[in-house]
This record gives sequence, structure tokens and C-alpha cells, in this order.
Amino acid sequence: MTDTRAEIIRAKGITKRFGALVAVDNVDYLLRENEVAGIIGSNGAGKTTFFNLLTGFFPPDQGTIRYKDEDITFMKPQQRVARGLMRTFQLTATFDNLSVIDNLVLAFFRAYRKSSMLQLLLNTCKGQRNDPKIVESLETFDLQDIRDRIVKHLSLGEKRRLEIAMAVLTEPKVLLLDEPLAGLSESEIKSVLGVLRQRIGRQTILIVEHKISHVEDFLERLTVMHEGRIIADGGYEETLRDPEVRRSYWQIDTSGEQDRTVVA
Amino acid sequence: MAAMSFVRWWWGLLLAFALVALVRVFLPLPFANEIIIFSIYTMGCNYLLGRIGLISFGQPAYLAVGAYAAAFYLFYFGNNPYVGILIGIAAGFLVSLAIGPLFVRLRGDYFALVNLALSVIIFYLMQKVLAGITHGDNGLWFLTNLASTPVLDLSRPDQFFIFGFLVAFVIWAFFKYLDDSIFGACCLATKLNEDKVKFLGYSSFNIRLTAFVIANTTTALAGAMYAVYLGFVSPEITSPARAADPVVVTILGGVGTLYGPLVGSIVYTGMKDVLSKVFGNWELVIGFVLVFIMLAGEKGIWGSLQPLLEKMVLRVTGKTAERGGSGQ
Repeated sequence: MTDTRAEIIRAKGITKRFGALVAVDNVDYLLRENEVAGIIGSNGAGKTTFFNLLTGFFPPDQGTIRYKDEDITFMKPQQRVARGLMRTFQLTATFDNLSVIDNLVLAFFRAYRKSSMLQLLLNTCKGQRNDPKIVESLETFDLQDIRDRIVKHLSLGEKRRLEIAMAVLTEPKVLLLDEPLAGLSESEIKSVLGVLRQRIGRQTILIVEHKISHVEDFLERLTVMHEGRIIADGGYEETLRDPEVRRSYWQIDTSGEQDRTVVA
Repeated sequence: MAAMSFVRWWWGLLLAFALVALVRVFLPLPFANEIIIFSIYTMGCNYLLGRIGLISFGQPAYLAVGAYAAAFYLFYFGNNPYVGILIGIAAGFLVSLAIGPLFVRLRGDYFALVNLALSVIIFYLMQKVLAGITHGDNGLWFLTNLASTPVLDLSRPDQFFIFGFLVAFVIWAFFKYLDDSIFGACCLATKLNEDKVKFLGYSSFNIRLTAFVIANTTTALAGAMYAVYLGFVSPEITSPARAADPVVVTILGGVGTLYGPLVGSIVYTGMKDVLSKVFGNWELVIGFVLVFIMLAGEKGIWGSLQPLLEKMVLRVTGKTAERGGSGQ
């Protein structure tokens, strides 16, 4: 069955080297509108490097990345954000020296107030804190009770929720999540996934994960990376049954049958 | 309600400046004036260091830009000290706007040192290369040139104090407002995680540049005020030996605290006043105090006092702690 949804991101022949190491090796990748896709792979498989290339953290050595009809290969992160690509970080990136609400204010102001330097100087954080969008975001992500707390005093799960809240608040076209579940407890994972589930169908979501057991009923498509290459790409179940995936990612002896949940 | 928040916003500022007014009563006038100017000088450095995380060992460079711009005008062209100060501010703004795009790209140590290099360059420009205009080490003297101005006569030290006091108050209110602004939050955010700022769609470069220009224009204002107050400017103002002064005073007072520069300036200048009468090596004492402050938790005098004062205020007013206010 071919997918008729419009293409939103297309990466072609992407290669990134760090010295002698080829971190991402000639990767082709396609994301469609409102798709919920995942990339998995073991440590060092090149997932995060590939993710960083998509979001403009650094440019690729070869290949092109297109967003809709535009070449964004060498575009700065700010310009990609302006087009609707929003990412989170593997090591949670919130502003620990600001309050929860002011973290949201910063995300909100850039997205909705087209902020010139003059606007940044002329507006106070206080003046934005009660905007309906921010209030709604606090409710959705269950952050009301800690809204005035300085972020450095939050738990990892709360910070992760805040970071995703900041990304979602800007209503991006593509939401790129780098290991959003890493280091979280079971209940925290549930609450983060619950929030993400609400976003399905409203934007394209790409999740890079190390553990896939948590996202299996969530992803419609799964891509597996191994040593810088994509070794399988397709529907969730179909990808996991792929012998190549079983051999290199799960390290299962494909001649015998084993339950994948043992290693998951 | 509006009145309450008005009072909450201003009371600290008003209290601080009531204390500065006391300085005028208890310290000789020259020291009071020096404290006022020094606190404006330090405020710029404090913003760079405490808000955007840029440490600069070249603040005297921008002080000299303001001072020499005012001095050139007052020596060669005119005699109105107010105009001199405005020219000093304009020069500081233009120079930091021109240099900033090159400097704010640099990180950490390199930023600190490139500013030091700039202050050395300006020192030698003023001492040797432009000696025909600047009169080299002899400096430019224009105290007797200064015109008496109406309302506040800046050529008289007692009236200069009132002027300086008002300027310092306005600068403080401005920096306090900046802390409340979205720009202020952007600065703190950039200090902590520049990548995340970029990935929210802000230009961290522009944020750093704007902070740089604001801080160094403030520094140039302090320089122009020095020039007018002393009626004299020499290359000594940007001497490499004085490069660390504002950083020292910032740390002394408490990095990134609003009242730190004021407290630091009072203590630094006051120590100089008191100690230099007792023995010549007063800077030795400052050195020991700094080492002590670093070892005691890097908070500085105000940074350490503030939590204690807050507790006292809370005990008196019986209110519960308001959470989430950014540290002042």
C-alpha cells in the first residue's frame, strides 16, 4: 500500500564523518505529513548523528535534506525552527536557571510573537505568562503545580515533560524527539507517552529511541539503524521480523526461534 | 493590587539608594562620587558576567572610549559637560556595536583575553600613537574649561554627586527592568544552554551582541562621567594593571545580583579609603578578601547577605516565601 500523504522531509545520500569514523553512511530517509515514525539502533548506530543532521546541529559531508520543496541542508537551526521543525534533546535541555513558566514563555514568544530584538526588550515575561496557550500547555502537561518552580529543582521526568511541552507549544509541523523516554520511571514514561498520543494526527512525529518496548503500540513506522546505515524501514511489526534486524540489532541467531521480548 | 506590585518592584531599589545617600554623609565627597561612578562601571561588567556569562578582562577599554570621547569634546570643541557625557555614551555604543560582532563569537577564555588585548591597544594608542591629540601620559586637562550648567552644575563635585546619584538610579532601574524582560530571560537562557536557545528559534548571537552593547555602553557612560568629574583623562584609565578591577568588584559584591555592584563598589572604594590610611598595601587585603569569598561559595557579599535579609524581612512581615522569583 503506498502512502498518499505529502512528503515533509526527504534526506538523500546523507553522510557524516567524524575523522575516520563514518557516523552516518549514505542514508536515504523520508517522512510524510502526520506520520508517527521511530528510529532505533544500538549505541553508536548513528541515530543521534542522523537526528542532528536533520535538525541542523551540524551540516552533512554529503547528501541533501529537503523540507517540503526547500533545500534545508545547510540551513541554520533558527531557520529550520521558523519553518516548523522543533526538536528536543537526549540530555534534557531546559533552562534550569528559569522558572517552569518562563521556559514556556520563551518557547511561546518566539513562536507567536515573531520576536525582533526590540520586542524582546519591550515585553516582560510577566506580561506573557497568562496567555491562554501557555495556560493550556501547563494543564495538558500537568505542570500547573510547579509552574513557578525554578527548573533545576525538578525531577528528570518533570523536566522531560517541560521540554516536550515547550516543543509542542510552538505547534511545529515536525516534532523531533531524541530519546524522550531515557532515564524515566514507568509512571513518567506513561505520562509522557500519554501526552504524545494526543499529538498524533496533528503533526509529524519522529522519535529516536534506544528501548523500543515502550513505543511499540505508538509508532506506525519503524526504521532500524546499524553502523551508520539504515538496515530496515517499514511498518513496525514487519521491520522487527526482518532477519537483518534480528541479526544485527537484536543479535538473535536467525536460524533458531527466540522470543524477542527476552531481549527487549 | 497595582500599588502593591509597584511597591514590591521599587522598594529594594529605593532602599539601596537611601543607603547610597548615607554614603554621601559618612564618606568624603570624592569617595562618594567614586563609588557612584564605579558602581555604574561595575554594573556593565556584572551584566556581562552574571546574566550572559561573558567574563571580560578588558572593561577599561570601554571606560576609556567613553572617557576619551567626552574628553576630546570638552578639550577641543566645547565646554558643556552634559554634551560631553552624551558624546561618551554615543561613542561607547558605536564602538561596542562595531567590535561586538567580532568579539561575541568567542567563547570563555578567548572573550576575556580579546577584551584585554583591546584595552592594551587603546592604552598604547592613547599613550603613544595619538600622543599629538591626547598629550600622551600628561593627559588632557579641561577642568577649568567646564561650563557651569543650570539646574545641576556638573563642574561642582557636590552637585555632580546628585547628578551621578540620579544617573545610577536610572541605570539600576533599567537593569532591573531588563531582568524582567523577555530579553533578560533570553540572556539567562543563553548563558546556560546556547544550543537550546538556537533550537527554540532565537538568534543567540544577536542576544549576546545586544547584551554586549548594552553593558559596554553603560561602561562608556561611566567613563564619560569619570572624565567630567575629574576634568582630566590620561591613558592610565585603560592601564592593563587595572583590567581586573570591575571583575574583582563584581565578584566582591556577588556575580549576577542586582545590588552586588553597588555593595562591591562601596566595599572596594571604602576599603581603599579606610585601609590606605592605615597602611599602603590595601590591595593585599582586597586579595585576601577575594580568596575568602571564592572559597566561601563564590556568592560575594550581597549574594551571601541576600538570603539572610530575605529571611529577616519574611519574619517581620510574616509572609510565606514567594517561590520562583529570579535571584536579585
